[in-house]
Amino acid sequence: MKRAIPAVISAATALTLVLAGCGGGDEPVDPNAPVTITLAGWSLSSTPEFKTLADGFKATHPNMTVELKEYAPGNDYDTQMITDLAAGTAPDVYVMKNLKNFYTYQSGGQLLDVSDITSGLGSSPALASYQVDGKAYAVPYRQDSWVLFYNKDLFAKAKVAPPDGSWTWDDYTAAAKRLHTGLKGAGSNATGAYQHTFQSTVQGFALAQTPNADLLSGDYGYLKPYYERSLDLQAAGAQPTFGTAKTNKLTYQAQFGKQQSAMLLMGTWYVATLLNQRQSGDADKFQWGIAPAPQFDKSTTGTSATPVTFGDPTGLGINPKISKSKTAAAKAFLQYAAGPEAGKALAGIGITPAQVTDAVTATLFGLDGVPQDDLSKFAYAKHTIKPENPVSKHTAGLQNLLNETHSAILSDSKGVDAELSKAQTRAKNEVLNQ
Amino acid sequence: MTATDLSLPTPAVAAPGNRNAPRRSVQSRGWRLVGYAALVLAAAGLLLPFYWMVVASLKTNSDVFTIPITWLPDRVVWRNYLDIWQRSDMTTWLGNTLLLSVVVSLLQVVTGSFAAYGFARVRFPGRNALFLAYVGTIAVPWQSYMIPQFILMSKLQLSNTLWSIVALQAFGAFGVFLMKQFYETIPEELSESARVDGLSEFGIYRRIMLPLSRPALASLALLTFVTTWNDYLGPLIYLRSPELRTIQLGLNTFISQYNAEYALIMTGSVLSVLPVAVIFLLGQRYFIEGIATTGLKG
Amino acid sequence: MATLPRTRPRNRRLVSRNTVAGWSFILPNFVGFAVLTLLPVVVLFYVAFTNWNVFGVAEWTGTANFRRMWSDASFWTALRNTVYYTVFHIPLTLGASLGLALLLNRKLRGVRFFRTVAFFPYITSIVAIAIVWNQLFSPEYGPINALLGAVGVDNAPGWTTSSTWSMPAVIIVGTWRYMGYYMLLFLAGLQTIPAQLYEAAETDGASPWQRFVHVTLPGLRHTTFFVTVLLTIESFKVFDLILVMTGGGPGQSTLVLSQYIYQKGFEENQFGYASAVSIVLFAICFSITVIQFMVNKRRNS
Repeated sequence: MKRAIPAVISAATALTLVLAGCGGGDEPVDPNAPVTITLAGWSLSSTPEFKTLADGFKATHPNMTVELKEYAPGNDYDTQMITDLAAGTAPDVYVMKNLKNFYTYQSGGQLLDVSDITSGLGSSPALASYQVDGKAYAVPYRQDSWVLFYNKDLFAKAKVAPPDGSWTWDDYTAAAKRLHTGLKGAGSNATGAYQHTFQSTVQGFALAQTPNADLLSGDYGYLKPYYERSLDLQAAGAQPTFGTAKTNKLTYQAQFGKQQSAMLLMGTWYVATLLNQRQSGDADKFQWGIAPAPQFDKSTTGTSATPVTFGDPTGLGINPKISKSKTAAAKAFLQYAAGPEAGKALAGIGITPAQVTDAVTATLFGLDGVPQDDLSKFAYAKHTIKPENPVSKHTAGLQNLLNETHSAILSDSKGVDAELSKAQTRAKNEVLNQ
Repeated sequence: MTATDLSLPTPAVAAPGNRNAPRRSVQSRGWRLVGYAALVLAAAGLLLPFYWMVVASLKTNSDVFTIPITWLPDRVVWRNYLDIWQRSDMTTWLGNTLLLSVVVSLLQVVTGSFAAYGFARVRFPGRNALFLAYVGTIAVPWQSYMIPQFILMSKLQLSNTLWSIVALQAFGAFGVFLMKQFYETIPEELSESARVDGLSEFGIYRRIMLPLSRPALASLALLTFVTTWNDYLGPLIYLRSPELRTIQLGLNTFISQYNAEYALIMTGSVLSVLPVAVIFLLGQRYFIEGIATTGLKG
Repeated sequence: MATLPRTRPRNRRLVSRNTVAGWSFILPNFVGFAVLTLLPVVVLFYVAFTNWNVFGVAEWTGTANFRRMWSDASFWTALRNTVYYTVFHIPLTLGASLGLALLLNRKLRGVRFFRTVAFFPYITSIVAIAIVWNQLFSPEYGPINALLGAVGVDNAPGWTTSSTWSMPAVIIVGTWRYMGYYMLLFLAGLQTIPAQLYEAAETDGASPWQRFVHVTLPGLRHTTFFVTVLLTIESFKVFDLILVMTGGGPGQSTLVLSQYIYQKGFEENQFGYASAVSIVLFAICFSITVIQFMVNKRRNS
């Protein structure tokens, strides 16, 4: 009984190897022989990035084919991937949607060491996120960051000055309130801002911007001013309440795209969505722009400084059960996906790649419907991105706990202090002591 | 129960058909009207979300969510019902789900009722312990043992085939438990006299128990059908290939693909409910007008 | 039910013949059941005593998971919420489904339609259910609170947006959703009560209530037992409904054990600990089931 699990797992592994038809894998590999590797993706028909990568790779490596395996979207992707990896039926290359899951896969021994290819990719914070004990276990191919989307038409209607890159959170709050009054005066039902129900909309910024804030410290005092401003905006009616957003299933796409709200804090992935929805008619056609996220204090505002924001990279890693004859191809694919060529290809479909170069910015801002003002380009290209999830054993547990704190603070009247101190007690007794 | 316990159905069985057909008690018209009014009101409450689904499926996407809720579409949009067939693999999903639901229900009814007879009517050592093991597994949450199960199924080369879902659902303890409970309502004397007449245990099961338990068999089949039809987590874990998707899995991919297109999503949901509703509407005479009228004459 | 072996003298040959007969009935189902359910469940019992991240080797840790659970406040919150849900869900659903079954077991015009309608909540997509009920419960714009306001309730509850009222909201929806399911079982059970019994009672001048108490309830004994056991287990295991309605929130106000197991296992990758929590959930359900079996047995004899 004691050995049931290892026995079951090793049997499953052996079986996969047999099924894959790769008994030894020691035979010499002909570098020009045709080889096919499998890549996990989700919602393939509406998420073109996987096909873009596969096609781009094929163009430069004619003998190598990337075959896409469709997985379920959302959190179900990880549920399926975990079961497939556990049973040894996972594809050769798979995606890590965020750093929280990277830890799961890396610590579980489900990622091949790819240090030998990362040296050629330069150095970036995203690359560094995937290093454990000096070894790299994945490479980033996307790096979204959180910015402020705003509706220029609604600002004009409410006669409020649009963002100029100098905003702190207090400026943002004041603008949302002025928008609210201004829009009401102009006979519009739109709210000043929309804060989606994600915990990131508050906690991501607080963690990235507050000096010395540390998720793993178990001290969450840094969240307080950020929550107080959110509650203030809710109470003033300048943004839909958390309860309304939850019970009425508000979507940020409709709130901003249908001009229900003048401002939206969201990740840069929304650029591609907004462009698509403008074409399909699911979003109105209005003047919009991107501004840097509001800042903690004046030291990082203005277009001569570098604003601080957050975002996890999206990474690719190799399944250690890949047959040896395919490892080289898989590594070549990772190298391509994290490199500048793939970056340009991804920018062409509105996706923000791992490294935002001038060429990438030029490509993205060349797309039809993207705003052309300098502030938008600045906000898109220049910022310090801090990871939302530090790579650690405790991150998943702490983020779950803080997600519960998030809904408790925004929907109840027990007060920010009480909920935060409860979160700190729980962090100490339930997560950090494990 | 007391000495005047009426629950023992023995006398009724001893004299089937001897009495006249049941007399209907005369109800006053007033009570009947009140009853209907209550029923209509209850029906409205029960149908509300379904009604909302239908209305939402007849709206344009941007009209689905409004504050406050609108119960009538401004103008009816039938397009969604055309679009969904063009933009999704609805036919494949419905086909797969129908196939699975039918096969699973059949297997569950056959093996479940068979095993239930063993548990209800044959006495052998260890029977009660074994039965408790059956019921006990219902109490274990599936999400906690699905990974060991998945590893096992992969080893049997069943994962990513429709067989995995059949294997998953067909041998559940639910059917065994349900059928055992119903067999126990059938008087022991019936099988005793059959035994005296020289009928084997299998003969008793086939000739006596099966015909008598028709309402239970029908409800088991229906409930298994619905459970399989609506199952999401099972297909999610076991099926990967798009051509194997079931209706629930397909709808969910669809939702994420067209995340803001709630009208279309609700169109899909309405279409996924209708087959089950029709089966229920047509099939209910098998479990409502079962034993009381025909069963015992056989 | 089972008569004790001693009450009727049986010889050894009969016992062995019965064993063969019994097993031959059970075997076709048992093979599938043993391999696909029993075996993984046994593995689960082992995993509960290990530290397992699903990929590697499970490391034996003895009772560490259970000791951790003892001092894990979230586990106790989840357990409390599960019991809260169960305590209300069982009687409400039992009453509603039996009531529906009695109402719809008559020969009324359109009764088939109404039966189908009663079954609708169970077959309607759970996503649609969550959307509609959340909107109905919406404190600012929902019709429920508008109605409460109209009849003079000043402080209308926040329902799913308030940690006090979210559980009652979920219980209401839970009862609404499952009563059709159990109604079906009761309807099937009602068919096994011979009409003659009702006639006899009527001839004796029994009132409708007396007929219900002395004919219907005893006749439904086996069904009621089955429904109660199933309902108990299903309530303790409630998962998807809460997930789509509230996601366990606000805060931890509707966090239940099944969800906690999923969170610890699939989100935090602690399958050993998640398995241990499942074992506790199993133990609770199972003990209640065994008690129900014993009570039922005593009542039958």
